[in-house]
Amino acid sequence: MKISALIFGYNDYTSQIAKNVSYKYEDIAVFKQKNDKSRDEFKDFQVETFDLSDDWSDLELHHDISNSVAFCVLEDDAQNIFLTISLRAAFEKLTIIALSKNKESAEKLTMAGANKVIPLVQTTALMIAEMLDKPIVTNVLHNILYEKSSLKVAQVKIEKPECFLKENGDIKYPSEIDWSEEYSVLVLSIIDKDGNNAFIYSSQSKHHPIEKGDLFVVVGYENDIENFEKLIGGDRCQ
Amino acid sequence: MNKSLIIDWAYFLSTSDNYQATKKFFYNLLENDKYKYKKYFDAFMITLILISVVILIREVKSHVNDFLLFFNNFVISIIFLIEYLLRLWVSSSVSEMIIKQHEHDTMLGMKFNSFAAFKKVAKVKLAYISSVRAIIDLLAIIPFFHQLRLLRIFILFRVFKLFRYARSFQTFTSVISTKKFEFLTLLMFSSIVIFVSSVLIYVMEANNPDSPIDTLYEAFYWSIVTISTVGYGDITPATDEGRLVAMFVITAGIAVLAFTTSLVVSAFTEKLDEIRETKSIDDLRKLDEFYLICGYQNITKELVKKLSKNNKLIIIDEDKSRVEQAHKDGFNAFNYDPGSAESYRKLHINLNTQVKAVLCMMEDDVENVYTALTVRSLDKEVMILSLLMNKINRKKLLFAGVNEILFPQELVGLIAKEFVGKPVAFEVIHALRSEYTNVNIEEVIITDKMLENLEFVKDLDNTKYRLVLLGLYQKKGEDFIFNPPGNTLLEQGDYLVLIGNSVFLKEFEKYLYMRKK
Repeated sequence: MKISALIFGYNDYTSQIAKNVSYKYEDIAVFKQKNDKSRDEFKDFQVETFDLSDDWSDLELHHDISNSVAFCVLEDDAQNIFLTISLRAAFEKLTIIALSKNKESAEKLTMAGANKVIPLVQTTALMIAEMLDKPIVTNVLHNILYEKSSLKVAQVKIEKPECFLKENGDIKYPSEIDWSEEYSVLVLSIIDKDGNNAFIYSSQSKHHPIEKGDLFVVVGYENDIENFEKLIGGDRCQ
Repeated sequence: MNKSLIIDWAYFLSTSDNYQATKKFFYNLLENDKYKYKKYFDAFMITLILISVVILIREVKSHVNDFLLFFNNFVISIIFLIEYLLRLWVSSSVSEMIIKQHEHDTMLGMKFNSFAAFKKVAKVKLAYISSVRAIIDLLAIIPFFHQLRLLRIFILFRVFKLFRYARSFQTFTSVISTKKFEFLTLLMFSSIVIFVSSVLIYVMEANNPDSPIDTLYEAFYWSIVTISTVGYGDITPATDEGRLVAMFVITAGIAVLAFTTSLVVSAFTEKLDEIRETKSIDDLRKLDEFYLICGYQNITKELVKKLSKNNKLIIIDEDKSRVEQAHKDGFNAFNYDPGSAESYRKLHINLNTQVKAVLCMMEDDVENVYTALTVRSLDKEVMILSLLMNKINRKKLLFAGVNEILFPQELVGLIAKEFVGKPVAFEVIHALRSEYTNVNIEEVIITDKMLENLEFVKDLDNTKYRLVLLGLYQKKGEDFIFNPPGNTLLEQGDYLVLIGNSVFLKEFEKYLYMRKK
């Protein structure tokens, strides 16, 4: 069975998503509704027709649902919510990312079981506000996030906490290490094995010695991140 | 010979830079409300008027210092005379009228008709002299003839002169003038009632020895006092017939009063939006460093919530209902077409000096292209940011002169990419950008004041404030240095990109100013 990106909707969002997730998913399935006219830009993708009243159990026959991701990007908010709730009712473990036009439908999509909701209006407005208020920060983050520069942001899992031993044999606290000096990377935050996220200099991480299984969110150049990973014996989590 | 001298003189004046500049200066000072020094001139004139009135009041029962009398009767009057002559001068251009007549005659192959030219000049100047404002100005000078005690009453015209400088009175008269016909009808009606009732009451009462009304003048006075609903009661009808007339006048008086009130109220109600807009445009002229947002639709509604915290915003939209919504939401909005150059002229927006950036926020590419082209045709430098709704229009927007484009569909694609690739990192970065967490990412500009105490990156002491220095944006070279080495030189205009608790970020910025070397 294939690990797939299942994109429900047949519009400009579909083409942008398909273009951007193709590096991760070899199999991309686009689902269009019966009334949608064929578009040339989807000729390289596997396009299937669906109806909102479909029984989705067939999907499981062709796709590894637990490891696949579904994008619900129908133009009509009500239909998008109905689709999300249908998919969630059929597949408990499917990761669903949904697009909402406004705040109200964003809340409904979350209630309908979407793992991540992209509120289009709010996101666009936030982006514009940041471009105007913090142009440099926006540019730097944009380049880091969307890999338009050699700087990368990565999640690194700690496999060897013993790399960070003090002279007395105790394991160091994250804030005690000069990351930029010693490893040429910057640690932004730490997610412990229970999933709690804390900023590197927060009081929470000040009282949390480095443990096996911790996730570090680091920023740095590709080579420096690779060296850091090798050193602590973990694999980059992707 | 004389005619040729007149024409030469007219051409000389109309082409003389000094003469035109002087005339323009006085025009601006006297007539142009938008001229920045006019308010000082107006304040000066108002002060003179008030001094003059105070002296007059004081003079009624007390002796006034001779210097003050001299100041009032000569200095102030001469200033008013100069002002009157200047206003007469700038009210129209004599040289232009002569040139126009000369060109007209030359075109028709005739000799220059100096009589026609001077007739035109006299007509235009007389029209100004006979205007209410000019008459008040002229009468305000008369107290100059101090010895004629009767003429002192003309000092009151100095009070009327105040109205020239009071903008609210000008607004009031312009509002009232929109109901000219209704007021004229009312005036006719009340005049007829006053006339008829005066005659009637005179006829009924004049021969009655008990009646206080003996003359037509008294009858007229009684009618006016009664119709205005003032009713002093010093003169009252004594006969039954006279009381009947009184009842008629009282009823008519109530109708006149009610009609007048409703006229004034309706005139103001109808003009209220216009008055408010005029005031807003006036305020807009004084504003600087604002974002001009074209279009108030869904994305703008969210955007203004975020931008309004630290910025001044002006919204223009040609859809009236959207402008009303923007007003309801508490924003400064104008119902003008952002795609029309005329809108910017009417709003007196200086794109070069007042506007930080123009945001084309219509959710329609055609309108955004049109707006961008209009703005670019007016100003080559101002930054334009535009929404893009359909990717095939990207080039058109760039061609129209847009500096930054935001394509929501592309943004969704990039978010999807990051979310499926590095969900944890994505959430961390998203949290940094979000205003709902304590940890923020900020840019801090290096100023010359900071450089008095700082030299290198190692001098920053950011770790003391628990801040991560993500990098340094160097103004020179426009380069971002990630994790800059300690010996990197800091220069004025560089930006530090820092991550940390928002309280510490603010404290750190203060520290950079206060830090001792």
